[in-house]
Amino acid sequence: MNRLTEQLVRSRVWRSIFRHGLPLSNRARAEAVFYNFFLHVHPTKVRRRSIKFTYTWGLGGLSAGLFIILTVTGALLMLYYRPSIHQAYWDMKDLQFVVSSGQFLRNMHRWAAHAMVAIVFLHMLRVFYTGSYRPPKEFNWVIGVVLLVMTILLSYTGYLLPWDQLSFWGISVGTNMVRAVPFGTGDRISYLLLGGNIVGENALVRFYVLHCFVIPVAAMVFMGIHFWRVRKDGGV
Amino acid sequence: MGNLSKYFAVVSVALLIILAVSPMKDFFREWKGYQYAYNRLVATLPQRVKTAEIGIKQIWVQKLDRVDRCETCHLGLKEEALKNAKQPFRTHPLIHHDIEEFGCTMCHGGQGVATEYKESIGNVKFWAQPMLPGNFIEASCGKCHKEQSVPKAPVLNEGRKLIEESNCVGCHKIEGYQKLWVPPLDGIGSKVNRTWLVQWLKNPKQYFSGTRMPNFLLNDEDADNLADFLMTFNTPPNNSQLKLLPSSLKSLPDARKAKLIDKGSTLFGEARCISCHLINGKGGYVATDLGKIGSKVSEQWLYNYIKEPKVLMPNVQMPRYRFTENDLTSVVAYMESEFVDFDVQQLPPHTPDPASYEKGLALFKKYNCGGCHALQGISGSSELGPDLTYVGSKKTYEIDFGNTKIEQTLPSYLRTKLLDPRVFSLVAKMPKFGFSDEQAIAVTVALMSNTGERIPEEYMVRPEPASHFVPQGQFGQLVKDLACQSCHVMDGTGRLVATDLSMEASQAQPQWIKAYFKVPYSLRPILTERMPNFFLSDAEINVLADYMEKVFVVDSLDRTIKSEPAMVSEGKRLYYERYGCQSCHMIGGKGGYVGPPLDKAGSRLKPGWIFHWLKNPEAYKPQSIEPDNKLTDHEADALTAFLMTLK
Repeated sequence: MNRLTEQLVRSRVWRSIFRHGLPLSNRARAEAVFYNFFLHVHPTKVRRRSIKFTYTWGLGGLSAGLFIILTVTGALLMLYYRPSIHQAYWDMKDLQFVVSSGQFLRNMHRWAAHAMVAIVFLHMLRVFYTGSYRPPKEFNWVIGVVLLVMTILLSYTGYLLPWDQLSFWGISVGTNMVRAVPFGTGDRISYLLLGGNIVGENALVRFYVLHCFVIPVAAMVFMGIHFWRVRKDGGV
Repeated sequence: MGNLSKYFAVVSVALLIILAVSPMKDFFREWKGYQYAYNRLVATLPQRVKTAEIGIKQIWVQKLDRVDRCETCHLGLKEEALKNAKQPFRTHPLIHHDIEEFGCTMCHGGQGVATEYKESIGNVKFWAQPMLPGNFIEASCGKCHKEQSVPKAPVLNEGRKLIEESNCVGCHKIEGYQKLWVPPLDGIGSKVNRTWLVQWLKNPKQYFSGTRMPNFLLNDEDADNLADFLMTFNTPPNNSQLKLLPSSLKSLPDARKAKLIDKGSTLFGEARCISCHLINGKGGYVATDLGKIGSKVSEQWLYNYIKEPKVLMPNVQMPRYRFTENDLTSVVAYMESEFVDFDVQQLPPHTPDPASYEKGLALFKKYNCGGCHALQGISGSSELGPDLTYVGSKKTYEIDFGNTKIEQTLPSYLRTKLLDPRVFSLVAKMPKFGFSDEQAIAVTVALMSNTGERIPEEYMVRPEPASHFVPQGQFGQLVKDLACQSCHVMDGTGRLVATDLSMEASQAQPQWIKAYFKVPYSLRPILTERMPNFFLSDAEINVLADYMEKVFVVDSLDRTIKSEPAMVSEGKRLYYERYGCQSCHMIGGKGGYVGPPLDKAGSRLKPGWIFHWLKNPEAYKPQSIEPDNKLTDHEADALTAFLMTLK
């Protein structure tokens, strides 16, 4: 058994991937984590106290997990959904009545979205009450706030896509609120968001692109920084 | 560590179960059950019927923008063998339209994309228009069919007729309907008496059950005030004055009065007033009931009205009879003495409320009387009620059902509203038209055919463009004066009660037309005589006949016939032996009663008309029951030659 492992570790394939043998010393273990792309976010050292479940309640991990569920179900929904006024609502109906497990897919996306907003908010409360925003983690708190805003924006932009009465009026009210921004810029921001003065075809396409590409990609970038900082500061 | 493994195991199993539920639900879909049941049913039939392939079936109608999946469960729509099968497998009744070309929801409504029973019916949350109940289905015909008479849609046609006759457009905006003439109220104070007016306002149908005036459900005080307000308008239109009767009937000695009444009775019959008017429910349907007219209008007004109808009521479709002063007095005397309401209860003496004018005016405006009736200087708003242009597209959630317990759908709302207009709200002002339930359904159907659906023009059936023919000159004056077009159609204008006169002079000889104006009679013995005698002068008759001879002709109907004896005898043989015309037509007192007698056909008809009529009767009168015997030109010529000898 040991010989077999040794042969494997010495093989050219293993060497091409990991570039070193089994990490048998403490230094080698630290280096293995440090030089590995997938493991490099891990801290080289974790305090026992912070591993305790009741300290973090796993809220950050849950948020990340929901984000993955949303990405997967969202990608599948994109196969059936067309962001046009004429087809959007009927594509919803087709998901409900014709597509295999379509309704399940939609429900999963919807419930996961609701759960993510709630859990991200709880995560923020936890961080606040455990005082984890204090130096040296103040920058990560700021990133966290950005991520909270992005979560809410994702939820809001997705709201328009079914193109029913609730969507239409929800977005109408929201963008009218934007108009209240002072110094004459409110109208312009609203125009930019909607691609016009009312919620119409352009607004639908804009919200679709924001929902499926712009905000998720930006969120992923910020999540990367967020996780990196958490790990380097000794979190789980 | 052991605990953590247990948690992991439990969570994993739970996740697997959740992931299994969805494919399970997919596998046991409702429609699959129906398709298996259909295949089982088909196997038991003696006829060979193709089994259904398991899977969703749909009709996609691109032009009408719909995907209908009804066929997923309704699998036997085109299978004759399933005529008596249970739903959802029954054969669709024969209809004019191809299902593949029109889909299902175009006519039935409901949610076509759905593949579940409840969702497809559409009586669910977030679906605003459920399927139409069977007795309202003709509403869908009217979405595309905007023509005057829609084939095979009697309910829709009846509803449209009722909407037009009830003058709904007086208060509502509805496309495709004309506002009908309604008596103006100018001078009403010198026309009717207050007792009649109060009772009429409270319940118009009590006086005349066929009236188009609805019941506004006024209370005693409102009826009093409105009546007092209206009685102040005692000047006839255009400030004309009522002329006095030559001799007041009341002051006449009884013997002379009886003689007058006797003469009036004869004239009343000769003038054939009941061709248009009713007498206590019997008679024509064109004008109002005269059965109790003596208790309604004053004799002075009646005298002036019959003398010159259009002076007191501009645009009224009442002919001006050429009565002499004496004859006119006797007709008025007869009507005032004969047509009296003996049950009328005189109202107690009444002193008008000092504010009755203001209160009455307010009521006049509140109920939009001016929407239908003209009254000097007081304009009604022509659209007081809701706009009904797209009423068929009204969503269930937009309707206020008040405290009623009816089914919450648009057809049930409209039907209830028409039967009892104020049931949904205490402040509603719509009057009660007294519709029967069938009529309410018909009106609902016609209303619901007005939808906002965008239907491609190629599917639409538009009404024929209206004719703008208005006869001019001396003839035009006479046509207006005699209200010819309230019964006759001329080149597409007028109301078709009697004949269409557009090619009358190609049909009849001028001498016969002139004689007919002198003494009108019915051509068919089984019909009642209806053409009134207007007591026209010879000069007037010449104007009418000459104009008709020159204008109401169709050149292609002209034809000269050689009346050689050989032709005549051949025609006679064809008449009696080959075609047996005598089974419907009478000559010399022998023959049938169905068609007009042909005794004097030779002095009434023109040969060209007889020829063309025999060749193809339905081309000239679509409803005619004269058979098309596929005559040769020679046979038609021979028959014509024979008929022209009958003078």
